[in-house]
Amino acid sequence: MTQSVLWKRIWRHKLLYVFMLPGIIWFFLFSYVPLFGIQVAFRDFKFSGGFTGSPWAGWKYFEQFFSYYQSLDLIRNTIIISLMKLLIGFTMPILLAILLNEVRNVKFKKTVQTLSYLPYFVSWIVVVTLMQRILTPYGGPLNDFLSSLGMEPIQFLNNTTWFYQIIVGSDIWKNIGWNSIIYMAAIAGIDQQLYEAAKIDGAGRLRQMWHVTLPGIRNIAVILFILSVGSLMSAGYEQLLLLNGPATSAIGSVLDVHVISAGIGEGRLSYAAAVGLFQSIIALILIVTVNRIARKVSDVSLF
Amino acid sequence: MKNKRVKSTSLFLAVVLMAGALFGCSSNNGDGKGNTSSNNGGTTNSGNANKEVTLKVLHNWNGSTGSDVDMTAVEKVIKEKTGITIQWEYTKGSEVEKVNTIFATQDMPDIYTGPAWGGELDGIIKAAKEDQLVDLSDKLDKYPNLAKAIAEENVPPALYEKAFNAYGGKQFLLYQNHPATPEDAMDWLYGFYVRKDIAEKIGVDPQSVHTKDELYSFLKKIKDAGLSENGMPVIPLGGFHDGWAVGIANTMFYGSGYIDKGDGTLENSFFTKAYEDYTLYYRKLLAEGLLDPEAFTQTDPIANEKIKQGRIAVLAAHYPAILDASKDYVKAHPGSDYVPVGPLERAGAAADRPVDLGIQGNNVTVIPKKSKNVDAALRLLDYLASDEGFLLVRYGVQGVHWDMENGKPVAKKEWFDKFTEDTTGKLRKNEGISIGLESMSGQDRINSVGGGDIWADQERLAAMDNARKILRPNGISVISAYNAGDVIMKSDKWETLKPSMDKIGDVWKVAIFAKSDEAALKVINDLRGQMNKTGYQEAIQFTNENLKGKEVVLLQMPN
Repeated sequence: MTQSVLWKRIWRHKLLYVFMLPGIIWFFLFSYVPLFGIQVAFRDFKFSGGFTGSPWAGWKYFEQFFSYYQSLDLIRNTIIISLMKLLIGFTMPILLAILLNEVRNVKFKKTVQTLSYLPYFVSWIVVVTLMQRILTPYGGPLNDFLSSLGMEPIQFLNNTTWFYQIIVGSDIWKNIGWNSIIYMAAIAGIDQQLYEAAKIDGAGRLRQMWHVTLPGIRNIAVILFILSVGSLMSAGYEQLLLLNGPATSAIGSVLDVHVISAGIGEGRLSYAAAVGLFQSIIALILIVTVNRIARKVSDVSLF
Repeated sequence: MKNKRVKSTSLFLAVVLMAGALFGCSSNNGDGKGNTSSNNGGTTNSGNANKEVTLKVLHNWNGSTGSDVDMTAVEKVIKEKTGITIQWEYTKGSEVEKVNTIFATQDMPDIYTGPAWGGELDGIIKAAKEDQLVDLSDKLDKYPNLAKAIAEENVPPALYEKAFNAYGGKQFLLYQNHPATPEDAMDWLYGFYVRKDIAEKIGVDPQSVHTKDELYSFLKKIKDAGLSENGMPVIPLGGFHDGWAVGIANTMFYGSGYIDKGDGTLENSFFTKAYEDYTLYYRKLLAEGLLDPEAFTQTDPIANEKIKQGRIAVLAAHYPAILDASKDYVKAHPGSDYVPVGPLERAGAAADRPVDLGIQGNNVTVIPKKSKNVDAALRLLDYLASDEGFLLVRYGVQGVHWDMENGKPVAKKEWFDKFTEDTTGKLRKNEGISIGLESMSGQDRINSVGGGDIWADQERLAAMDNARKILRPNGISVISAYNAGDVIMKSDKWETLKPSMDKIGDVWKVAIFAKSDEAALKVINDLRGQMNKTGYQEAIQFTNENLKGKEVVLLQMPN
C-alpha cells in the first residue's frame, strides 16, 4: 500500500481515528512516557537531580534486591498468588459467560449480568472494609451465623488458613462479571447457523456448548490468557496491601507491595524502580514465551 | 449537505470530548490560586510586606482535619495581622509517604509542617541536603520568634546535631512545640488503662498489677470472666490504629532501644534475649486471646468504634487519646472511665527512679524552595510563634473566646460550655482552634504564657492528675543524654543498614503472630542476619566509638 493510499484511507475514516485519539494519547502519556523513568533504576535518585541529573549507580539496586533476605519469598508469594488468580480467575468468567448464554429468561439474564459487573466498580478499600465488617469474629454476621449453628467463631482475616481462599475468592467476586463481558461478546458473534446445524445433528445443549460455544471463544480466550500471563509477577498491590497482615506476611508479602513500601514508604525510589523493572522484564519474557507456545500449539497468538 | 453538517457536528463533539478528557486528566486543582505560581524560585519578596497573599500549608499529620467554614475567626485575625490567607492541605494516609511523594513529584506546598521524628524527619533532612528547602540562616535575624525556637539551647542536643546543625552552617528547619520552660513540658502518660467497672467486676485493684506475670494474670481474669457488651465479647487488651500502642510493655523487658551489654558497650535491643522474651510474651497474649488480633490491622475509626461500644477492657496508649476515645461511652455509662494500671515494673530501673522521658517538640516546619512567597511564609510563621500568635491559635480570639484577667487568659464561659458540650471537637475547629496552626506556633508555652490550657475541662484535668500520681510516683526526669539511635545514623553503613532496621517493627508483629515460639524466634533471627549482612556490626562499632565517655540513654519510657 502506497503512502498516499494509506493517508486517503485514514482521511476517509477520520472520525473513527478521532475517537481513537484519546486512547492513543492515554497510552502514550501513561505507558510510553514513563518508560523514560526506567533509568532511575540505574541511578542514585536525588530530588535535586531528578531523572537525568542523578548520578549513575549501575546494578547497585538490583544487587540490593537479590541480596535482600526476603527477595525469594517475595517472588515465590507473588507467583503463587498470581498463578491461583490466573488459573481460577481466568476460567470463571468463561464459565459465567457460557452459563449466562444458556439462560433464556432475558430479565433474569440482564439482572445477573448487572449484579456481576457491579463489584468491578467498587474500590478495593470499600471491598476490604466490607469484608472486615462481615468476617470479623467480633459481631460479624458470618461468625454470628456460625455461632448460631453452634460453631466457634473463626478469625478469617489475618489468618494463613483462610488467606488464599479470601484473596482468590474476593478477586473473582470483584472481576468475574467485568471479565466475562468480552466472552459474552465473543459468544454473541458465533454464527447461529452452527447451533442449528448442531441441533439437526442431534446435539443437546451440553454438546452444543462443547462443540460450538467453546471453539467459538477459543481465540479470544487464548489471547486473554497470553495477556494474563504477563501479570504473573504482579499479584495486585491494592488488594494485597489491604488484606495482608502480620499473621499472613509469610505467604502474603508480594513484590507489588514491596515496591510501593520501599519507594513511597521508605523513599528508596531507585530501589523500587529496580524491583519494578525486574517484574516488567520477567513479564515480558513470559508473554513472549507463552505467545510463541500458543502460536505453535493453536495458531492463535498476539504477535 | 445535511450529511456534511452531521459529520461536522460529530467531529466537533469528538474534539470537545477528547479535550474534556485530557483536561480532566490534568493535575491542576483548578482553584486558580493554589500552588501554581512558583515564579520567583524561592527568592525573597521583600517589597511585598503585608501584601495580601494566599499560602498553601501542608499539615502532614495523618487524619488531621480542618474547619467546615471558609475562614475561621482565628484565620481572619491572622489575615488582618499578616495579610495571609491559609489554604490547608491535610494528610490522609502515611506521613512518611507524603514527605517522599511531595519531593519526588515536586508538587510542593508553600509551607510544610510535620512530625519531628522517624521517616518523616529523615525525608526532610534528605530534602535539606538535596537543596530543596529555603536556607533561613541569613533571614532569621528579621524573625526573632523563629530564631528563638531553633536556638541550640531550645532543641534537644542529639536532634540539633542530626537535623538542625548538619548543613555546613545553613539553616533549613524550624522547630515547633518544644517546651519553653520545664513547666510547659508535656507528659503524655503512656501506659495501660483499664475500665474501672471491669476491674471492679473481676475484683482486681489495677494498682496491684506491677509485674509481667501480674499483667498477664490480670488480662486472663478479664477473659475468663466472659464479659460481653452489646452481645459481643469484651476484648481484654486493645489499642488504636496499626497496633498503636499495644507494644509498650517492652519497657518491662528492656530499658531503651539500645542497652548496655555489661562491658560498657551498646547493643541494639533487637539483638538481645530480652527482646526475644518480650516478643514471646506478646505471642502468648495473642495466642490465648488476651490481645485483640485486629489491633495491628485496624484503622482508628474501627478502634474508636470498639471503644465507644465498650468492648475493650484494657487500652494501651497515651492517656489523652484514651480520654478522647472513651468520652461518649463514659458519658452514657458513668463509672466506666479508664484508670491507670500499675505502675508497671521497668527493666533495669530502680524502684525509686523517676520516669525517664524524652521531652521534645513535635513538628519541624520548612519552606520548600518552590514556595511562591518566602517572606510571606516567614512573616506568617513568625507571627504564629509570637506570644500573641501562640495564644490566638491555642485559645482563639481575645475578647471573643477569652479575656485577659490579671495577666492570665480566662475562657469565656459561653464558649467553654459550648466546647465542653461538643464531644466531636468540630465547634473548636470551626472557630480556628486545633486546625493545624498549633503545629506552627513556636515553643510550647501553654503554662508559662498560657497559664494552663483554658479549654481543658476540670474532669479531664483531674483524671490526668490522678494518672500522674499513680504512674509517676517518683516524678519524671527529662532525658538530656545522647541517644545511640541518632549516632548510628551517621555511620557510613547507614544507607544499607537503614532498610533492614526499618523492618524491626513489622518483623516484631510477624513474630508475635507466628505459629510457635520457635517460628517467632526464627523470624527475628532472619532479620538479625539481614542486619548483620547490611553492616550492623560496623555501624554499632562506630556508635560505640563515638559514644565512648558520653552519657547515653539507657532508660526511656514512651512519650
